[in-house]
Amino acid sequence: MKPLPRRHLIVVPAILLAWVALVFARLVDLQVLQYDFFTRRARRQQERTVEVSPVRGMIYDRNLRPLAMSIEVESVFAVPTEIPNPESTAKLLAPVLDLDPAEVRRKLQGTRFFRWIKRKVSAREADRIRQLNLKGVYFQKESKRFYPKREMAAHVLGHVGMDDNGLAGVELRYEKSIRGRPGQLIIEKDARQRWFSRSGRPPEAGENLVLTLDENIQYIVERELDAAMEQTRALSGSVVVQDPFTGEILAMASRPTFNPNTYGETDPEAFRNMAVSAAFEPGSTLKIFTAAAVLEEGLAHPEEYIDCQMGQITLAGHTIRDHKPFSLLNVGEILQYSSDVGIIKLAMRLGDEGLHRYLRDFGFGAPTGIELPGESRGLTKPPERWSRVSIGSISMGQEIGVTPIQLVSAASAIVNGGRWFRPRIVKEQAPAGNLRKGEAGDSRRVIGEDTAAILRRMMVKVVTDGTAQEAQLARYTAAGKTGTAQKIDPATGTYSLTDYVASFVGFAPAESPVFTILIVIDSPRGEKHGGGNVAAPIFKRIAEQALAYQNVPATEPWEAAPAPSLAAADSDFPVRSPSILPSQRRGTGLAGDGLPGSVAVAASLPLARREPSTGTYNGSLGRMRPGTLVTLDSSLTVPNFLGKTVRAVVEQSLAKGLELQVVGSGVAYEQFPLPNLSLPEGRKIVVRFRVGGRTREQQPAEAEAEKNKRPAMRLPVAGSAQQDTTVPAAG
Amino acid sequence: MGKYVSLKDFDWLLLVLLLLISALGVVEIYSTTAHTRFAGAHVKQIYWILLGVSLMFLVCRYDYHDLLNHIPLIYILTLVALVALLLLGSDISGARRWIRVGGFSFQVSEGVKLAIILLLARFFSESHEERVSLPELAMVFLAVGVPGVLVAMQPDLGTALTLLPIVMVTLFLAGMRWRYFGMLLLAGLMILPVGLHFMRPYQKARIVTFMHPEQDPQKAGYQLLQSKIAVGSGQLWGKGTAQGTQTQLWFLPEPHTDFIFAAYAEEHGFLGVLFALLLYLFVLMRLVHNAKNAPDAGGMFIIGGIVAVLSFQILVNIGMVVGYAPVTGIPLPLMSYGGSSVLFVFLSMGLVNSVRVRRFVN
Repeated sequence: MKPLPRRHLIVVPAILLAWVALVFARLVDLQVLQYDFFTRRARRQQERTVEVSPVRGMIYDRNLRPLAMSIEVESVFAVPTEIPNPESTAKLLAPVLDLDPAEVRRKLQGTRFFRWIKRKVSAREADRIRQLNLKGVYFQKESKRFYPKREMAAHVLGHVGMDDNGLAGVELRYEKSIRGRPGQLIIEKDARQRWFSRSGRPPEAGENLVLTLDENIQYIVERELDAAMEQTRALSGSVVVQDPFTGEILAMASRPTFNPNTYGETDPEAFRNMAVSAAFEPGSTLKIFTAAAVLEEGLAHPEEYIDCQMGQITLAGHTIRDHKPFSLLNVGEILQYSSDVGIIKLAMRLGDEGLHRYLRDFGFGAPTGIELPGESRGLTKPPERWSRVSIGSISMGQEIGVTPIQLVSAASAIVNGGRWFRPRIVKEQAPAGNLRKGEAGDSRRVIGEDTAAILRRMMVKVVTDGTAQEAQLARYTAAGKTGTAQKIDPATGTYSLTDYVASFVGFAPAESPVFTILIVIDSPRGEKHGGGNVAAPIFKRIAEQALAYQNVPATEPWEAAPAPSLAAADSDFPVRSPSILPSQRRGTGLAGDGLPGSVAVAASLPLARREPSTGTYNGSLGRMRPGTLVTLDSSLTVPNFLGKTVRAVVEQSLAKGLELQVVGSGVAYEQFPLPNLSLPEGRKIVVRFRVGGRTREQQPAEAEAEKNKRPAMRLPVAGSAQQDTTVPAAG
Repeated sequence: MGKYVSLKDFDWLLLVLLLLISALGVVEIYSTTAHTRFAGAHVKQIYWILLGVSLMFLVCRYDYHDLLNHIPLIYILTLVALVALLLLGSDISGARRWIRVGGFSFQVSEGVKLAIILLLARFFSESHEERVSLPELAMVFLAVGVPGVLVAMQPDLGTALTLLPIVMVTLFLAGMRWRYFGMLLLAGLMILPVGLHFMRPYQKARIVTFMHPEQDPQKAGYQLLQSKIAVGSGQLWGKGTAQGTQTQLWFLPEPHTDFIFAAYAEEHGFLGVLFALLLYLFVLMRLVHNAKNAPDAGGMFIIGGIVAVLSFQILVNIGMVVGYAPVTGIPLPLMSYGGSSVLFVFLSMGLVNSVRVRRFVN
């Protein structure tokens, strides 16, 4: 027998050791050197982080009546890997959500573990889907912005996108503080794409915002502007109401406008807040500032007569003609009759530099600094670039572009005795429980008090005896200045003979002004196109109602009852304006609508729905396309809203699928149609609210809450409502 | 001869090492199956281990020379079993590997490995050539090739491949010329394309995947990738028993069988892996030591074959887990869950001891 080759056995351990060394090296590489990469890799496939949107802060008017709130709605998402049959699931889902079945199927088929099917669905849709009991289809609670007053102050408030991000107005400007901090949802999932645990950080609610707007005045303005737009068939229009002594904006409205709840259907042009972003040639309204400069500089005595040269003046070869020939007019009369020649002759005493300096002092040519995005600085040229005709044009409001907010703020400087206040729209910001006063309006003296008083008297005469007689109020004295500017025809580059911008800036009562009001109507159609006959009447209607609402004592008691509102005559409101209530006194309308201390309303608001049968609160009523089918639900009767808070009413209407118009705030005291009548679905219900009016239906606790309410200190805090998320347990 | 045999000569150190590795395996099987439909598998594994240890002692008392004498019968029975399996075997997930005896299922191919080890030991212990001759080489390849092809047809390519190291190591120990090894390598390379032709698509995919694991992370590359992630994210200390997220969240494929070492690496980290590797190394060294001290050529070839099989399985399985080798479905001896595998290891350890306790006989 051959000898045993035992020595060969040495090779085996050699191979083994070599291999162990290799594996060792590999393990050092994987577990010691690259562990970070693999740990992250592991986490990436085992966890998903989903952002949970925070509840946006509320936006209130100055009396804490809600203008924008956030409500909880549900969004539908799918976990495609859990769906046994995408085809049939899509077929069931699509019709309920009004989506394309092929599109839904495509979403359901992926290997992803999270797909939105439709976000922010109505409660009705959510219920129907819940009834379908589909595997792999879930709900996530999200917060949705809701503007209970619809178009009211839309440009000031702005609107938000699908992700609740502010896109315009204060929603955009105060995005950082209103939005809050999003939370994070960390979901662990296994290789079969099943979820089984979640953790994370809850979202932090945003801060509340209190605007300087007064809902009632805003309402008056909106209504009268609507009526005026309809009557004049104008291209656009803006109205601003300002407190002349603080610079606070009490109302600001522009047309065309939009419903921020359904902004998706809006022409983008309507998003533009003309009141701050649209510069226009003001025309004669600017003359008061020319006159102010001349008087302040002592370059003319108020009683001094100026030769108006029978309505004709020639500057550097250009002849400017008055609308009417005048001979001798004093400074007041120049404004009263709006003489171009007169104001040009006064301006020439100032010189280019002087006029320009005063206009800048009055705030023209620079953004006012109002807390709104997209503000225009207007159009002013430095004197170096003026032609020799410029002083004539500018002194009477041509060759200069001003924004409504600039114009009203400049006028307020005359109204309040000579100080220019930075216009303000935000009164307070309230992070949970903590109040931060808005910046006190910056102000600077522009003209002396005496000069301001003289100008005010002159402006009274404009209304009583001059071009603005249609601005005369029934129970109050008023003052102001009209403007009728020809528009520049873009085709020819010359002044149009048909298109005007009619404006009026005024204040009332004349002796103790409460409001400065600016009306700008762009391109009114019809015979009337002037500041005197288009803008001044709007001023009259707004001022009368706003003064009455503020309970300002009548200064002209002998006059008869106020002329009926133009809007009331042809409005679809069956009852009188709720805004002028004898019970309401300035400074008492604090309690808002009696909202409890949380903001997220547990109701679903299907704002983007187009299907009328769902009867959603989409604000499209009355604008419903002809031929739209309206499903009738015979069992539906009008609920009794009387005595309920705004929120209770909103929720109840949503549950019933009614379209609701909220008027005023506080407690419901009137509704139309009356309770228990049957109502075809999709019809609008108008509910009127007032502050302080309690009925026996009101809950004692609610009444208590209202009693305890003090302004600002008890701001409802959005943070109290934490967002809940619906996530399936391990299946 | 029995009277010379004493349990004092039994390799108790080897048994301790084996039981330690088995314990690691049991714990990891518990960890990977506790919340799955395989829950309780670790208990079954303990039963298999106990059965294996008993068989080991039984086999150890039995003289391996008797086994070598009965090799023709054993070989023929093995072939019959393999053919019967192909014709009558129960189909489990597309493969006919199992034979049912009572309530238990056995993988016949595990037995084939033992039969081939014994066959080659007998063949070369009786050879009178100084060096392995070409006719002998041809006979060996024919004798191993037939059952090898039958196993590959089940299909169980992993086990069929395991036969190759047995042949190579035995040939090497028997003193084959280096140029014959060269010829074998050349022949292997020439046969490779033919072999690829007969491979199933999933087997091809595994090889392609091994070459480019990131190419298709959703399907074929998935297992390798997940295994690497599991090992890598285990870091130095591991995530703790039953704490491995890769394992517990189903990312790791077959975490209690083929990829148990990846699960172990994730939960026990670099240090745990080092410990297990050393245990395996000690076991193999111990076997080599026993082979050296074998009383005769037959004994040495038996242990040599066993070392070849175990080394190959450990090498390939752990290599697969760390990304060195393609996915083959070869279990990790003693740690992977499975009765057949456990029994094979302990039966072969019985044979090793059968050789060892007779080392002073001659």
